[in-house]
Amino acid sequence: MWIERKVLTQEVPVVAGLDTRQLCELLASLGFPVDSVTAREGTEALDVDITANRGDAMSHRGLAREVASKLGQSLEPIAVPALQEGAPAVEVRLESPACPVYSTAVMELGTGATPQEAQSFLLALESTPKRLPAVDASNELLHRYGHPTHAFDADRIRGGVSIRWAKDGERLVTLDGVTRTMTGQDLVIADEAGPIALAGVMGGDGTKVTETTRRVLLESAWFDPKTVRATARRHSLHTDASHRFGRGADPAMAPVARDLLVGRLQAWCGAKLVSAWTVGTIPVVSISVVLMESLLTRVAGEPLSLPDAAEALKRLGCTVEVKRDRLRVMPPSWRHDLTIPEDLAEEVLRLRGYEHIPSVLPPLEGPPQPLSQDYLKRQSLARRLAHLGFHQTVTYGFVSPEMDQQTPGPLGQQAFDIPEGRILANPLGLDYSVLRRSLVPSLVEVAKRNLKQGQREVRLFEIAPTFRGLPERPVESWTVALVWAGESWDADPESRAILVKAKHLHGILKDVLRPGTPQNVHPVEDDTILTAEFLLDAVPPPDERIIPAYTPQSRFPAVERDLSVTVPTDLAWQAMHRAVQDALNRTALTDLICADLYRGKSLPAGTKAWLLRLTFQAMDRTLLGEEVDGWVAAALAAAESLGASLRA
Amino acid sequence: MSGNDQDLLAGLEAMADATLRKRLELMLAARGAFDQELTACETLDDCQRLKGKYVGRDGSLASEAMPAMRGIPVAHKQTLGAEINSIKKTWEEKIKARQIELEAARKKHTSLTDQWDPTLTPPVPARGALHPLNRLMDRLVEVFRPLGFHVEEGPEVETEAHNFDGLNIPEDHSARASSDTFYLAAHPELLLRTHTSPVQVSTLRRVAHDLAARGGIRFLAPGRVYRKDEIDPTHSPMFHQVEGMLVGHGIGMQHLKGTLEYALRALFGPHTEIRLRPSYFPFVEPGCEVDVSCPLCAAKGCRVCKGSGWVEILGAGLIHPNVLKYAGIDPGEWSGWAFGMGVERMAMMLSQTPDLRLFFENDQRFLKAMGGLD
Ligand SMILES: [Zn+2]
Repeated sequence: MWIERKVLTQEVPVVAGLDTRQLCELLASLGFPVDSVTAREGTEALDVDITANRGDAMSHRGLAREVASKLGQSLEPIAVPALQEGAPAVEVRLESPACPVYSTAVMELGTGATPQEAQSFLLALESTPKRLPAVDASNELLHRYGHPTHAFDADRIRGGVSIRWAKDGERLVTLDGVTRTMTGQDLVIADEAGPIALAGVMGGDGTKVTETTRRVLLESAWFDPKTVRATARRHSLHTDASHRFGRGADPAMAPVARDLLVGRLQAWCGAKLVSAWTVGTIPVVSISVVLMESLLTRVAGEPLSLPDAAEALKRLGCTVEVKRDRLRVMPPSWRHDLTIPEDLAEEVLRLRGYEHIPSVLPPLEGPPQPLSQDYLKRQSLARRLAHLGFHQTVTYGFVSPEMDQQTPGPLGQQAFDIPEGRILANPLGLDYSVLRRSLVPSLVEVAKRNLKQGQREVRLFEIAPTFRGLPERPVESWTVALVWAGESWDADPESRAILVKAKHLHGILKDVLRPGTPQNVHPVEDDTILTAEFLLDAVPPPDERIIPAYTPQSRFPAVERDLSVTVPTDLAWQAMHRAVQDALNRTALTDLICADLYRGKSLPAGTKAWLLRLTFQAMDRTLLGEEVDGWVAAALAAAESLGASLRA
Repeated sequence: MSGNDQDLLAGLEAMADATLRKRLELMLAARGAFDQELTACETLDDCQRLKGKYVGRDGSLASEAMPAMRGIPVAHKQTLGAEINSIKKTWEEKIKARQIELEAARKKHTSLTDQWDPTLTPPVPARGALHPLNRLMDRLVEVFRPLGFHVEEGPEVETEAHNFDGLNIPEDHSARASSDTFYLAAHPELLLRTHTSPVQVSTLRRVAHDLAARGGIRFLAPGRVYRKDEIDPTHSPMFHQVEGMLVGHGIGMQHLKGTLEYALRALFGPHTEIRLRPSYFPFVEPGCEVDVSCPLCAAKGCRVCKGSGWVEILGAGLIHPNVLKYAGIDPGEWSGWAFGMGVERMAMMLSQTPDLRLFFENDQRFLKAMGGLD
């Protein structure tokens, strides 16, 4: 909201003594930060941020009241012309509780234009003067005092006026030229032919004031904030008026703003008052809020004097009764936001300045809680994968329906999924419309982009929830996905780059997952990109014990023996491993690996060669050559039972 | 022939056994030849051969001569015996010296041909990185751990009740509109959480019944949140927040200030100043915005702080009594504070990353440069 410095100074003269920086800091310390300052129309315009709870501050008068209160001053009362109310010139009926008071007047316009000073004021606020005194005066009053008013061309109103709920489907062309179709929840000003204004939001085009207007009907009312907010939202019509009524205007201002408008039209263009009158009564909300001294002390962090607090609240317009240990406070008609004791405590602190709040660490009242296993698991897994050469990525939780179809998601998560349960009602676009069941498609997309940009090797991982559609609601499970693509090279000119293969990713998974977990490795794009995905549950939790139980290690020499055998091509290592281990399960065998693998023309057709490396070591003695020879022979016999034969 | 040699000859002549005398004669006579052969040794193998010929254990001149020493008459033991011993010792020392010399030469030669060029890249282990946003969130958790904060988390799909109702957000608040918040097609009451604050609601409801036994609660809630914003350099439909909350007895603004002062100094350095300004959020009262003295220019004024020396870092306040009541906690007994912080905003400020989208594009070079390992 723009604030013009000259007019602010008229409301609170002490501002004249502040430079721009001081003024901005003062406003910020009150909760109204200044976004920018612009020199305009020979004055300074400040763009001030007003929070949604402070409709009362959306005017020069409103901010002046804040500044004055902070500086321990009070504002001059508004100079209102003495105006006698008389008989209604037009019948005005209030038919809805959403408009309890409607101050109005009929005037005959004279000749004369909007004064230069008022035009400059509006221009400084980025508002274009219409050079129609009735329109400009209403606008100037809104910015200066915060109360929206409206002027109708009285000669275009047919019959009496009522403030009522619209009928479903009723139409109105608003001032912006748009035809609005209304519902029963829209409050309108209507004449006998139909709506002539959306109450508190915008006037109608048919009754607007023009150069030819001779007589005006003025409106200064109070409309229910919720009703105005709903109408503004329903018609996407957010105006200066709707912002102020929507946040809660000051009902006591209804007749005052009318009087001010009448006075300006008399002064600016010699308009003659035909009659001024008010329909309904100003709603009085007589709530009183009790602020206990103990609550004020708790919120402020130190004891504050009750009389001082009372003074601060009085400067803001509250009526305050000081008791021994409490204040009984009646907020002014413009402060709808002061409803609970904490609100009052905030006002006292605000005027005192948040910089005076002491700084204290809160005492511990109970033992701290540990971090959850799940959280710790994710932290250590991320670090582990980063140390293994993978880069953590963050991608969006929603994907396109095509991407959602690409992969089935982590193992153990693929059953019971109703994809419709994961669709957004109002996505940013089709590309962002489905909560993903798999992280892989997003990672593959990232990998491809990286390869295209010249990365020779791409190693990525993401730890994020995946979603499953269930009848009641989608279920989220922490999921881990890895992508490895391109060629791997350790930068040593004496070693060669190797094409990344599935076995490399299997190796990572073997290292990271619980033993025996099925490894969900899938190549995509002609095997050039390898992917793996698993639930976080597949990762073992950090060890419960700080240090595992002691296991003794042998202090005697180990004996290593190799067996070079040919085996049928289709024999799996696991079978060989199991057979040899079973055969030697009562021996000192400590390790059995396939140390070399050979396939070649020199071998008999249908065979491949394995070099079995057996390691023996006893806990209690140095092994004898003869006993090891016996075990190796037993190992060979077991291998032969699977079709192996010793190589020459 | 020197006088000394004449003594030796006299000693030889006095020996009775001709065979033994012959062995000693050979040894004395070989002195000149040894020096020539030693000089001719070019390799360690040559040295080995020379050693075998002159001083080896079997069949060398020295090994043959040693038993002959027993036949030297007592009168000549002094001169002849000592000379024979000395010759053997000299040969051994000379061979050893030559061996060392050749070994050194060989080493020097090898290192010249095989030497590693240290300006070439050695083999390096693969090195990945944590995502900068995750690192920042981890760091925040680390900073708050010593004050007894743990981590609470909640689902990304939330109910309107947790995301709005429980946080004192009015029923007609614009944030609830489908223009601001993503809703699920099949479940109109479910939405993608728009902030991490619903974790306040779910956590408080969970602990309400034994809050006294726990001695209140204090936690951080880091996580991903969603808002219906078009993607541009400063907006993203998904981003991260860290929520902080503390509930205890007699908690006031001083505790909020004290905690944030500690935490922000731990993050930005011990000379960091903080500033609280009044503000408004429906779920706190009083509410405030918190600024830190600009960590990039030591509050002197720069582009990041727009010359003011202050950077807005988070929103906070004392928990609104309605939020406690909704969770089943008596605001007459308990009070607390809460804050919410935008992770991307802070990451962009600290790193001066110009475009929010970079955090979600995941260019591996960006990740490597911005992420780090721990
Ligand atoms: Zn700066």
